[in-house]
Amino acid sequence: MEVNNENNDPDLSIPILPSEHPNEEDELTLAEYKPGKALYKSVLPGILQVPADLILAMSRKSSLWPMTFGLACCAIEMIASYMAHYDLDRFGSVPWPSPRQSDVMIVAGTVTKKMAPAVRRLYEQMPNPKWVISMGACATNGGPYTRYDRVLQGVDKVVPVDVYVPGCPPRPEALLDSFLVLQEQIMEDRKASGK
Amino acid sequence: MSENNENQQLDSFLDNKTKDLFDKLWNIIEKNINDVSITRIDLEEKMSKVDLIVSIDKKDILNLFSQLRENENLSFDYLRCLTAVDLQDQGIEVVYQLYSMSTKFNLTVKSMLSNDDLNIESVTSIWRGANWYERETSEMFGIIFNNHPDPRNLLLPEDMLDVFPLRKSHPLAEIEVLQGEDIEPSH
Amino acid sequence: MSNKQIETQEILVNMGPQHPSTHGVFRMVLSVDGEMITDVQPYIGYLHRGAEKLCETMDYRQGIGFMDRTEYLANFNAELSYVMAVERLLDIEVPERANWIRMILVELNRLSSHFMFVGAFGVDCGVFGTPFLYSFRERERLIDFFEEISGDRMMYAYFRPGGLAWDVPANFVSRVEEVLSSSEQGIKDMDGLLTNNEIFLSRTKQVGIIDGKAAIDWGMSGPSLRASGIEYDIRRAEPYLYYNDIDFDVITGINGDVFDRYFVRLQEMRQSINIVRQCLTNLTSGAILADAAARNLRTPPGEVYIRTEAPRGEYGIYLVSNGDNRPYRLKIRSAGFSNLQALRDMVIGSYIPDAVVILGSIDIVLGEVDR
Repeated sequence: MEVNNENNDPDLSIPILPSEHPNEEDELTLAEYKPGKALYKSVLPGILQVPADLILAMSRKSSLWPMTFGLACCAIEMIASYMAHYDLDRFGSVPWPSPRQSDVMIVAGTVTKKMAPAVRRLYEQMPNPKWVISMGACATNGGPYTRYDRVLQGVDKVVPVDVYVPGCPPRPEALLDSFLVLQEQIMEDRKASGK
Repeated sequence: MSENNENQQLDSFLDNKTKDLFDKLWNIIEKNINDVSITRIDLEEKMSKVDLIVSIDKKDILNLFSQLRENENLSFDYLRCLTAVDLQDQGIEVVYQLYSMSTKFNLTVKSMLSNDDLNIESVTSIWRGANWYERETSEMFGIIFNNHPDPRNLLLPEDMLDVFPLRKSHPLAEIEVLQGEDIEPSH
Repeated sequence: MSNKQIETQEILVNMGPQHPSTHGVFRMVLSVDGEMITDVQPYIGYLHRGAEKLCETMDYRQGIGFMDRTEYLANFNAELSYVMAVERLLDIEVPERANWIRMILVELNRLSSHFMFVGAFGVDCGVFGTPFLYSFRERERLIDFFEEISGDRMMYAYFRPGGLAWDVPANFVSRVEEVLSSSEQGIKDMDGLLTNNEIFLSRTKQVGIIDGKAAIDWGMSGPSLRASGIEYDIRRAEPYLYYNDIDFDVITGINGDVFDRYFVRLQEMRQSINIVRQCLTNLTSGAILADAAARNLRTPPGEVYIRTEAPRGEYGIYLVSNGDNRPYRLKIRSAGFSNLQALRDMVIGSYIPDAVVILGSIDIVLGEVDR
């Protein structure tokens, strides 16, 4: 590299490249490159290396926060399964009233045609990934009230449902079982993310 | 002959206390209510087993009820229930159940509406608690209550107001049949 | 800058059908000026399922299941009204043992419903966990006992026209006494947690007052009416079953505010325990289903209006029959429907958090309001 030094400026006459500097060229040596073996591969091979979707699925299934959406009689059994006798908190679920911060919507009770737009709107307000558990006979297909024409014959006409829980009302143990089934489903479907 | 039959039927379901109570209340009503024609119908075909039933014409409604409320011997200040029954060809019958806190009498008042003239006066000016009962009855049967302060729908959704569910002519819904294997949880 | 020149506007706050404090699907639209409420519009009907229409197509025994599902916290009371209406039409006399057992179960159901009220009311006032968990512990004991008798945790369908479906198990009396002693301890716990708590008192005293005369005009009934000073209890005024022979007090309040409605229910729980103890000493042995109750119940033409005292108020069944084995017209008169009409009077003039507390104190169950 040539520097224009017509005026013979003393500051511009210092050599710039290491190859021009006499002392450094002797001290710098080129490091030898060995193809890398990361520490975790040598210390714990195959254990810390897990696919990211497995970790994501495990963390999603272990802290499912249900939105409290009790409509009718099944809501009382849902509340009973949150309470101390049949504890739902041991699965990591905290009942959360706001749809914006919850994962699961448990539709517990009969959905009428007057209530259906609200159910749809709440479903759309939940962020992905989200799941729906349809609890009870009324949410599955209308239940004992299916012959009345103001009743929606099943909540799966407005929202997509993942787990159906039969019963009128289902026992709290059935609701706990539905959480376990949902957790299995989340683990199996983990490749399909961002639902 | 029919008188004997009627008395026998009376003795089988009414004990003496109830029968005396009905007669006592009927006497007080006859004495204290003016210029309203009341008919006692608890002893007819559809027999009453609990309350005294009277029937009036629909134009006398406000007159009778205001007298029933203000008269001190009767003072019916508590409206328990207001409903309607669809008797298909004879019309629709509006039923009022009354109770008095001070004199402890129970009374049922009925009024028949014919099928082509389904309107009746509202009693919300006498008891405020009749408000929601009248709204519900009007949307279920199609009866119009005149001078109701707030005639909106109460229980039914707003886009399904043209049919009246509790009439006998209204059918039940069909159960939808699923088509089988091509139903899967949609994503 | 004086405050008179600042113009304020009324805004509408929608406490929608999904809200943690509306006890079910109930919608209120509040017109608010600052924080003070000037108008409230309630909207109901989000759970209207047509129980009255569907019962017209069902047998008398199939209809008992529908009565369970309208009032899903006090199921035995709802079944009792319906079954008594059918028995009155058929002129059946129920055997004595069945009536005593019915009384015991109805009063225990009143206990479990009031336990749910005390827990949920605590949540409304801001006490998030503890009373709710304690009261549900007591309620679970009662529900386990009901499951031993009838086979289901909530929808019992145990009463039949003419008596009961089957006899109670052999350890009935000892189980009832166990349940009563643990409920007494539970009531004492609830009382100690809530009644003298300073924050609870300042949130509930002088809030949501309704006058006695206005309450009668609106058609209110039950503990909400008795809290305003009116002594009207159907068990005293028009006794059914054996309430004439039992000694109990009718609890009334003084002011008609939210605290009185809570306190009346708390004391009613103690009275219920008293009633059940007296019934246990009077329990006889014998048949539990009347002989005249045939399998196919055809009622003669007639009509009845039977009213009983449910935990929320007057639960009335108006049954019209025309000789068939189904009702011709069944009208359910529920306490929540009338009590909720008076909400406007109670809420106007208070603040938004008070509206939540007032709605909780009326103790509605949307299943019976909307049917």
